[in-house]
Amino acid sequence: MPDVSGKLQGLNVFVVEDEALVALNLEDMLDELGCTVIGPAMRLGRAKEMLDGAFTADVAILDVNIAGEPVFPIAEQLAVRGIPIVFATGYGQAGLPTSWHSNPVLQKPYTMDEVSGSLAKALGGG
Amino acid sequence: MAAGHRGNMPDIDFRQLFDRLPSPYMILDRNCRYVAANGAYEAAVMRSAEELVGRNLFDIFPNDGPSGVALRESFERVFATGEADTIAYIPYDIPRPQSLGGGMEKRYWTAVHTPLTNRDGEVAYLAQNTVDVTEMVRLREAASLPYRSFSGETQLVERAREAETAHRSLLAESAEFRRMFEQAPGFIAVLSGPDHVFTFANDAYVRLIGGREVIGKAVGSALPEVAGQGFIEMLDHVYSSGETRSGEGTRIVLQTQHGEMQERFLDFSYDAVRDLDGLVTGVFVQGMDRTEAVRTLKHQRLLLDELNHRVKNTLATVQSMAKQTLRAAPNMQAANDDLEGRIIALSKAHNLLSQTAWDSTTMSDLVDHEFAHLDRARLAASGPDVLLNPKASIAIAMVLHELSTNAAKYGALSGDEGRLDVVWQVGADGDLVIDWHETGRALSAPPSKAGFGSRMINAVVRGELDGSVNASYETDGLVCKLVVPQLSYIRTRDHA
Repeated sequence: MPDVSGKLQGLNVFVVEDEALVALNLEDMLDELGCTVIGPAMRLGRAKEMLDGAFTADVAILDVNIAGEPVFPIAEQLAVRGIPIVFATGYGQAGLPTSWHSNPVLQKPYTMDEVSGSLAKALGGG
Repeated sequence: MAAGHRGNMPDIDFRQLFDRLPSPYMILDRNCRYVAANGAYEAAVMRSAEELVGRNLFDIFPNDGPSGVALRESFERVFATGEADTIAYIPYDIPRPQSLGGGMEKRYWTAVHTPLTNRDGEVAYLAQNTVDVTEMVRLREAASLPYRSFSGETQLVERAREAETAHRSLLAESAEFRRMFEQAPGFIAVLSGPDHVFTFANDAYVRLIGGREVIGKAVGSALPEVAGQGFIEMLDHVYSSGETRSGEGTRIVLQTQHGEMQERFLDFSYDAVRDLDGLVTGVFVQGMDRTEAVRTLKHQRLLLDELNHRVKNTLATVQSMAKQTLRAAPNMQAANDDLEGRIIALSKAHNLLSQTAWDSTTMSDLVDHEFAHLDRARLAASGPDVLLNPKASIAIAMVLHELSTNAAKYGALSGDEGRLDVVWQVGADGDLVIDWHETGRALSAPPSKAGFGSRMINAVVRGELDGSVNASYETDGLVCKLVVPQLSYIRTRDHA
């Protein structure tokens, strides 16, 4: 794994994750990578509100299943804005609809290296 | 005869023609009652038409033996199929009228039964042309061994008798097979010719296609929705090549009885039907409707995915707990105790949920489990029955664990004096409000804002449950109000 932490420095990362503890851990990881966390949004409604407000992000990490609901409506809005997306899921790549298969997937539980690697990949560097 | 030709017919009295035909004829209705009988028939059975018409044949000529059965079955076949039926040879004794001395007379017959339709085109009658062959049979009997000198006529009767026996047993056998096919659990259909015209479809097949009438129709017109699904192409292939085609769990969309399109999954096989020369004349279709099995399999796949999702999420939660605990712990012993306590709290919440098949827990159950290790003498917890969905159950269990551990280690329950009062209620707006009230002892070491406990409580209640946390460290002890909106804890049917 190449050292990509330098490239990620200062990135604004939008996080949607409904498990508080998992979100905390991801916040810590992103913090260590020098990124700024936008969110985390733990409910779809909250994520939508954030998108409708003054929203800026360089990249997003989205949990696929938010309290039983798929995150894809949020993903579509982000894609329209050209914001690269990493999906985090317990299902693996098979849990993604084919239209999202080219996006990097973080298989839970994940390590900091996997987070940085997937972000770099989403941004076109990996 | 086409109706148009009738106008050109010479002036013939068909009633008279019927009456005068040299061969015996009679007509029966569906209840085996005589409708008409001609002169030759009257003579053959020694009864006048007046004696017969309106009466049941089997009342006048009773026969409880195999011949009676054979005759009745022949009538039934004609009425059921609308096709003529022949009995080449039948022994059928008839009672001699009293005027002729009474008693039974041994008779042998050959009979052809032809269906007749009424004005509505329904088979309402049958015509019987019967020939009394008793004389020929007697001749055969007279020419008994050792002198085998049968006349041509007696040999003809003998052949007729043999043919009739063979025909009856074949008919019985074929009826037996037909019944078996009709009632077979799998679906069976027989298609004939290059257009795949249905000549047979059993009960299971008819059920599969929503009870539609298909006999005599080509697959393409009988089941129009099948076009474009690849099945007709397969039938074409079997018909033209003679090769078998089959599928397992193959998806097909079929029209139901109510006209809706429904997805079914079939195991099936198309086999060529050949004539005696080996030429393909049709396709034999058989298979099983596997829809339920395929659905069960899909459901299992879904459950497995869901299980995997939950396990991975739980592992990610534990991973986070471990990392946060290790980071904050002053030493390995504390790290061990804290991590163990948190994992056990998570596990207890899972236990409670599994008791209800992952449906819900109650606030009381969560409180009982979380407070089990505390001094109940200095603790009071009360509130109404509130059902919590699985996500809220786990979240609130973790919060109660952090708060109670904190109280036992540093708060009201850490010394000998203080006490803890927990009261929960449901507000008018449906919000669940939990009041956490420690008294009698200020925190020995007020928690840092960045400590895992308070970070977690904030993240869980504010982030995950969309609620609020209001904590104040009074001189007397920790006072904390947690508010969880109804939408976050309410039980819904498919909560993850």
